[in-house]
Order: sequence, then C-alpha cells, then structure tokens
Amino acid sequence: MKARIKRILAGLTALTVATIVWLPCLHFIFIRPAAEFRRDEGISPVARALAARHLQLWTEPVLREQELNKMRVSNAEWDFMGRSYLVWSLANMALRDPASKPLYLQTMDRIIDETLRLEQQEGMYFFLMPYAKERHYLVQPAHSLFLDGEIALMLAARRVVEEKPEYKPLLTERVNAIVGRFQKSLRRLLESYPDECWMFDHCVALDAIKMADYLDGSDHSALIHDWLAMARQKLEDPKSGLLISSFTEDGTPLDGPEGSSIWMVTHSLQLLDEDFARDQYQRARKELGEITLGFGYAHEWPQSSKGTADIDSGPIIPGFEISAGSSGMAFIGASTFDDGKFLASLDATLDFAAFPSRTHGRLKYCASNQVGDAALLYAATLGPLWQKVKNGARP
Amino acid sequence: MIKNIWRRLVTGQRAEFLSARDLLQRAVAISGLFLLVHLAGFREFTGILNGTIGSLVLGWNLSAFLAVIYILVYLAFVILVPVLVLAAMILTVWQRCIPKEEDSRVPPDTSSRRSDANG
Repeated sequence: MKARIKRILAGLTALTVATIVWLPCLHFIFIRPAAEFRRDEGISPVARALAARHLQLWTEPVLREQELNKMRVSNAEWDFMGRSYLVWSLANMALRDPASKPLYLQTMDRIIDETLRLEQQEGMYFFLMPYAKERHYLVQPAHSLFLDGEIALMLAARRVVEEKPEYKPLLTERVNAIVGRFQKSLRRLLESYPDECWMFDHCVALDAIKMADYLDGSDHSALIHDWLAMARQKLEDPKSGLLISSFTEDGTPLDGPEGSSIWMVTHSLQLLDEDFARDQYQRARKELGEITLGFGYAHEWPQSSKGTADIDSGPIIPGFEISAGSSGMAFIGASTFDDGKFLASLDATLDFAAFPSRTHGRLKYCASNQVGDAALLYAATLGPLWQKVKNGARP
Repeated sequence: MIKNIWRRLVTGQRAEFLSARDLLQRAVAISGLFLLVHLAGFREFTGILNGTIGSLVLGWNLSAFLAVIYILVYLAFVILVPVLVLAAMILTVWQRCIPKEEDSRVPPDTSSRRSDANG
C-alpha cells in the first residue's frame, strides 16, 4: 500500500513538473516569424495560400455556394463581408504583385458584378440579418450604410488598382448618395439597420469617400474632418477612450467598444487621421489584446464595459474571455500598426487553435469560415492601397 | 529499461497506475484517437467555434458534437500527450536514480518478512 501511494505521488509530481515545463514551451511549435504572415513587400506565403483557396471558391461555383450557404445559415452579412474583404485584399495583392494583377482584377470584377446584381435583384435585405425587416428605417427611402459603404469601397479599391470606366459612375452615384444623406442628417449618423448605426460602417464609408476624392478630384475633407471631431466628442466611451460600436440615429449608445469592431475601425481611421487611428489602436491593444504563454488573443469588451456575446463576438471562451471575432479582427489592427510581437503571437494562436487545413497550396482555417479567412487575408496584405491614396498622386 | 517499457507498451500489458509505462500507454492511446478523428475529417466541423455550421447535411447538433469531440481530442494530443511523455521520462530517470539510494538505506526484504512472521 505504501509503495502504491509512493508511486502515485511520484507520478503526480512528474506530471506537475512536466506540465510546468511543457505549457510555456507549447507556443514554440506554432510560432513563426511575422513575415510568414505579412510582408512589407511582396506576398507572404500565408497570404498566397489563403488567396489560392479564395480564388478557387470564385472559380468553382458549387464549392462557393456550399461555403456561402453555410455562412448564410448564421448570418447573411458574412456572405457580403466575405466579398468585401476579398476584393480589398485582392486590390492590395494586385499592387504588391503586378504580374498577377490581371487574375486579381478579373476576380474582383466578378465579385463586384455579382454583388451588385444580387443587391439589385434581391434587394438590400438579401445581405442583412432578418431583424432589418422588423422595423422601418427612420430615414426613407431606406438605405443601409453597411452595404453602401462597403460596395463603394470595393468599387474605389478596384479603380485605384486600375481604372475601369464602367465603375466610375457607380462609385460617384454611391458616394454622392452617402454624402447627401450625411448632409441631411442632423447628427451626421446614418443607419445600417433601422435606428441602428455602426462605427465600423461609418469609417468604411468615409474611407470610400476619401478614395473617391483621390480618384475623381472631389473634396470632402471638411465632411470627414467634422465627422471625426463629432465622433471624438460624442461617440467615445468615457472609461476606455475607445470609440463605441453602435448607436441610434440620434447618437444614443447601443453597444460600447467591441473588439469585433474596433480593430477594423482603427485600420479605417488610418486613412482618415493617422494620429487618431494610432491612439485608438494603442487603447484597444491595452484594453482588449492579450498574450498568454506566447499565444495572442483578444477580448470582445474592455474590463470597464462588459457586454453579451452575439453573432459578431462569436462564442466567448470562458476563463480567458477569448472572443473568436475580436481575435480574428485583431490581426487587422496589428498588421496596420506593425505590431510585430502581437501579430506573431496572434498567428501562433491561429495555427494552434484555428485548425489550418492545407491542400495543393491552398489554405483555409477550419475553425474560421469564408469571411474570417478573407479578413485574415486582408490583414496579411493590407498596406499598399491606403499608402497609394495617402501619397496622393492622382492615378 | 526503455526497451523494456516499449516492449510492454506494444504488447499491451496493463501497467501500474501512474507508472512510466501507464503514462506512455495513455499518450499512445490519445495519439491513436487523435489520428482516428483527424483522418475521419472531424476537423472540418470546428467552424462551430465562430458560429458557422459544420455541415448543412448533418445539421447543428451533430456538427457541434463532432466539433467538440475533435477539439477535446486535439487539445489532449497537443497538450496532454507531451506532458505524459515528459512525465514518463522524468519518472524513468527518477526510478533509475532513487532506487539505488533507497537500496543502500532500506534493510533487505528478509528482515521485514521476519518481523511480519513475528507479528
């Protein structure tokens, strides 16, 4: 009996020591240089493999339908955002790799054309969650800034890479409509859903306006400046200093700051106001970003203002409070602001917990979906598009 | 000694609880299970982590069930298996060193038998 107890104690001690040794070493299996994920020039191996998978989806209709249907069961928005992120990624890739530009442009055009066709054929509700139909938009005729902003940015991104005359009137029309609604709105807040406005959508729409200025010589700098000043004053969370995620048409906060939104907001802001963007990123990094045992991840909410899990946050892993949505979008923030340490640790988590699947040079993350992978591809390729517009030399 | 452990491991003899051989047997069992669920394609269902259905044909419940199985077995494979192997190595080294010290301290077995007989 004594020998048995002795053996069990020895076994437990060995297990404890082994755990103490192994856990801090675990990330070494998954960590790789940040350049594997994103490079300053050219296309990283991860980006190339992710893009290969997306290009396959847009050349094999059956496969694409299967993937999109799986997402649409949960959220029709994901179908739309997967298109947006892919177009924006391909625009950056075309600027990074001019030899492959024809292929990327062809795919961008196919996505844009099909998205516009669906919007026209099925109506804007096709890409919105069902609750959009439950109430009336306060401002009539109904428009969703979510759709208008992202479509405008798709068109603009395509034209920044290479002019396409057919898209010029489409972009002008969409941007003029957004600007017109901003000017008519007392508080300069536009709905994405009935009486529901999103910071993410406003920033993307302002990016599209800025890019239209760059492309067509218009000037909406005063509108952008005034909007950002208003946001700083009225749409910041007083505790964290982070921009809140959603609000009503009269500016009443709905959701506080959220990781699934703020990381992309910091990236969008970079085109509009670099200092403000960096300040928001640093706050988000402090409030939401974590590295534990070498693995990076992000919370959905700051400690000071907890919310409830929803379709954007994804399931929250208790204990560490890891949000899949926020952690995925954190790649975009970390890439935008060259936060190499955070990016490498996020990448380690991606390889550890997102279950990569590589076949024939194509990469997908099984724990993700098409929109998640497209957002990762965007994080791995972003930079040249913003840079070209910021440099200001007209095309 | 390691050869001995390996021979017993592959012949499937039952090991004493928390002995080095027991830990290695458990590591092999988890690895085998992981290989099985991996080859069966359960990885494809882990989209449930972001709220996406794994398969429209199988539905939410079965997809989620398969995803949970895969995630648990995967975590056991990458976290528990190395811990079990390391612990087995620690025990093996320990047992090589400690018994020699104990042999020199503990009186021969015959004395205890004699005291048992007396008792």
